[in-house]
Amino acid sequence: MRPETVIIVGAGPAGIRAAMVLAEHGIRPVVLDEAPMSGGQIFRRQPQGFTRSYAKLYGYEARRAEALHTAFDALGPRIDYRPGALVWNVEGRRLQVLRDGVNETLAFDRLLFATGAMDRVIPFPGWTTPGVYTLGGAQVALKHQACAIGRRVVFFGSSPLLPLVALQYAAAGVAVAGVFDTTPRRAKIAALPGVLAGGTTGLKGLSYLARLALKGIRYHHGITPVAAIGDRTVTGFAYLDAGGRQHETACDAVAFGYGIKSEWQLADLAGCRFAFDADTHQWRVETDAEGRSSVEGIYLAGDGARIAGADVAAETGERAARAILADTGGPDQGAALSTIARRLARHAGLRQAIDRAFPFPAHLAREIPDDCILCRCEAVRAGEFRAAIAALGPDEVNRAKAFSRVGMGRCQGRVCGPAAAEILATELGRPVSEAGRLRSQPPVKPIPIAAFQESKGDAA
Amino acid sequence: MRTADVIVIGGGIHGCSTALECRRRGLSVILLEKDHVARHASGVNAGGVRRLNRHPDEIPLAMASAALWQSIKDLVGDNCGYRQTGQIRVAETEAGLEAIAARRALVEGLGYSHEQWIDRETLFGLVPAIARHCLGALYTADDGYADPSRTTRAFARRAAALGAEIISPCRAGIPVRTGDGWQVPTDRGPVSGAAVVNCAGAWGGAIAAGLGEPVPIEPVAPMMLVTARVPPFIAPVVASFDRMISFKQSPNGTVVIGGGWRGRAEPEANRALVEFGDLHRLIGNVLHLFPVMREARITRSWAGIEGMMPDGIPVISPSATAPGVVHAFGFSAHGFQLGPIGGRIVADLVETGKTALPIAPFSIERFQRASWREAS
Repeated sequence: MRPETVIIVGAGPAGIRAAMVLAEHGIRPVVLDEAPMSGGQIFRRQPQGFTRSYAKLYGYEARRAEALHTAFDALGPRIDYRPGALVWNVEGRRLQVLRDGVNETLAFDRLLFATGAMDRVIPFPGWTTPGVYTLGGAQVALKHQACAIGRRVVFFGSSPLLPLVALQYAAAGVAVAGVFDTTPRRAKIAALPGVLAGGTTGLKGLSYLARLALKGIRYHHGITPVAAIGDRTVTGFAYLDAGGRQHETACDAVAFGYGIKSEWQLADLAGCRFAFDADTHQWRVETDAEGRSSVEGIYLAGDGARIAGADVAAETGERAARAILADTGGPDQGAALSTIARRLARHAGLRQAIDRAFPFPAHLAREIPDDCILCRCEAVRAGEFRAAIAALGPDEVNRAKAFSRVGMGRCQGRVCGPAAAEILATELGRPVSEAGRLRSQPPVKPIPIAAFQESKGDAA
Repeated sequence: MRTADVIVIGGGIHGCSTALECRRRGLSVILLEKDHVARHASGVNAGGVRRLNRHPDEIPLAMASAALWQSIKDLVGDNCGYRQTGQIRVAETEAGLEAIAARRALVEGLGYSHEQWIDRETLFGLVPAIARHCLGALYTADDGYADPSRTTRAFARRAAALGAEIISPCRAGIPVRTGDGWQVPTDRGPVSGAAVVNCAGAWGGAIAAGLGEPVPIEPVAPMMLVTARVPPFIAPVVASFDRMISFKQSPNGTVVIGGGWRGRAEPEANRALVEFGDLHRLIGNVLHLFPVMREARITRSWAGIEGMMPDGIPVISPSATAPGVVHAFGFSAHGFQLGPIGGRIVADLVETGKTALPIAPFSIERFQRASWREAS
C-alpha cells in the first residue's frame, strides 16, 4: 500500500505535538506554517539576531516554550517542514499554498488543521484610528519585535490576555494608563472558585492581577468603552465606569480585544460541519471525541477547533495524531487516548471558569453606535448595516453581507463578522446562533495575482 | 388554495420580470421561489448589459431589451447600478482579427450597426492599461453593466408593489393539469392558475421533463474572481476573441473577473463550488491582457448555478405538450441583459400565445427535431 500523505497546517503547540507523535510512529508529515518560524502565536520566536532570554520572552512559560522549540527543532528531517506557507484554499484532497511568492498545489490523504485563532474584536468609535491595536497584536509587537505600540497605553476588553499583556507592557517599561475590563466585578468573583480549582494555570492568572496591583496599576471592572479619541492618532480613551459616569484617560495607544476566535476558514472550505459553541459564544467545527471532523480524513486540534489555550492545544494535537495513526491502520491507540482524555478533563473546569470570567460582551456589539465603522475593509458604518437590514430584510448573515457589503472585503468578515452577526440577530429578534455564519470563499487571505505566474503542479 | 392568473416558477430576473409585466397588464400573479429572489445565476453573474457579440438569433431581443434598460429606473424604481461604460472585445492574434471580420460581415449583413470596429490606437485610448499586443477590437459604446442582485431584487420589489404575490422559500413541483388550468404542488401547499411560467433557470429542465418535453440542459457553475480595490484605471468591460476572459472594474475600485470558467455545480445540494485548478489559467489570461494586474490581490471568488443549453441559446417558448405553460429558461450564462424584454415576451405568450419578437429559434421543440438529434 502506498504510504499516506499527512499534512499538518499550523506549527503552534497543537501542530508541533501532532508532528512529534506522527514522527515517533514513522510517519513523515508535511508541516505547513504561515509564520516564518515555528511556535505559533503563544510561543512565537523572536527574529534572528534578537537575543532576549526565554525568561524575558515568555515569563512563566519560558521552560515550556524552550522545550517546545527544542523538541520541534530536534524533529529535523523526520518531518517535511515548510515555514512561510500560506494555505489559502482546500479543494477535495488538495491544498493550495502560497510560499515564497509562488503558488503550489499539494495533495493529501489526511489533513490536520491546527490553525489556531485570532483576536476577537467589537468595533467601537475610533477603533480605526492609528494607535488602536488588538491585545494580541500589541503582545506580538512586544514579544516578536521588542516594540511597544505606544509610550502610554490603555488596555481594555474582556480577555485572559488583558491582564497579561498589560503586565508585559509594564514589565517592559511602558506606562500603562489603565486596564479596563468590560466584565462586571461580580462575574469575576463568581468565576473565582473555578479559577482556584484550576491549579497552577489558574493561580498564574490571578497572579497577573496581583502583580499589576503591586505596580500601582488600577484594574477597572465593568466599564463600557465609549471611544478612542483623536483624529490622526489616538490621544485618549473615553469610557463609562461601572456606575455609568464618563471619564477620559490620556494615552497614545489603545490595545483591546474580547478573547480569541478560531481560524476555521479552511475547514469551512473543506466542507466540515459546524456548530455554535455557547460557552465561547462562537462557531466551531464539529469534531468527534478524537478530533475527526465530519469530512473523512480531516482532523482538527488546538484553538482552531475550540478555544482552550496552549496546554489543551498540545493535548488535542497529540489526540488527533493518534486518531490519524488509528485510522491509517497503525497500532491501537486506546490507552494513550484514554490518558489524554483524563488530562483534558482536568482542564475543562478551568476553561469554563475562564470563559465565565471573560465573557464575550455581546451587548456591546448590539449597541455599536450608528456612526461607528463596522466593516473597515468596505468602510460600512453600523447604521448603514442596520438600514440595509431594515430595508431589505435579510434572514441570515450571508444575505446581509450581499445587501450591505459588510464582510465582503479583504478579511471576509474575520474581523467584523461576530459583531455584524450580533447586530443582525438583534434586528431579527433571534439568538445569534440563528443569524447564520459567513461562508468562507477562497482565497481565505488575499493572494497576489503575480503568484499564479509561476504555479507549480502537484508536488506531493 | 391560492389562485392567480399566472403562476411563475423561479425568482431570478426572468421570473421577476415576468411577474412585473403580467401585473402591468392586470393579470394576477403568484411567484414561487425555492430559496430567495436572486439566489443563483441572477444574483451572482457578472452583470453584463451587453449586445456585443450576441448569438445572431438573440440580437433582436437584445436590441429591444437595451431600449428598456435606457429607462430602467422608470421600469423598476431603481437605476440598478446601470452604467453605460461600453463593452469591448479585443483581437490579440490574426485569428482574432479574422473572427472580427467574420463577425462584422454577419452582423452588418443582418442590418445592425451597434458593433463598431476600433483600431489599436483607439483601443489604447479607451483602455490605456491593455497589453500592446492587441490588434484591434469590436466595441459597443452604449453597452455596459448593472448590479445583478440589486436589479433582480428591484424587479421583484416593483412586481410585489403592483400586487404580485412572491412566495419564498417555496419549492414548486411539476404542474398538474386541472380542468382548463394548472395546479402547481409546492412544499407549502398547492397553488393554481390559468397559466404557468417556467423561469426556473438550471432547474427549468426538470419542470420541462416533468411535462413530457425533456431538453438537454446542463447545470454549470461559472466562476468569478474579485480583487482588492485599486485606483480607477479602466472604464469599459473587456473580453477577447482569443481567450476566455471578462474583465471590469467596479465603481468601488474592485476588479471583477470572469469569462465562463466553470466550477462544480451541485444543483441537488443547491450550491456551486469554485475550483481554482482552472482559475490558474484565467489568472494567466488576466496577466497576459492586463500586465498592470500583477500587483493586484485576489480577495474572494464565487460561483453560481446556471442552466446551459447545448446550442448556447435559451428556451423561450410556449410548451409543446402543456397548453397554458410558457418556458423561459436555459439562458446559458448571458440572460441578464435580456431580463427586461424577457418578461414582456413571456407576458405576450401568456396573454395571446404569440409575440412580435422573433422567438422561433428558442422553441422548446428544436430539441425534438430530427436534425437536432442527428447533430447530437
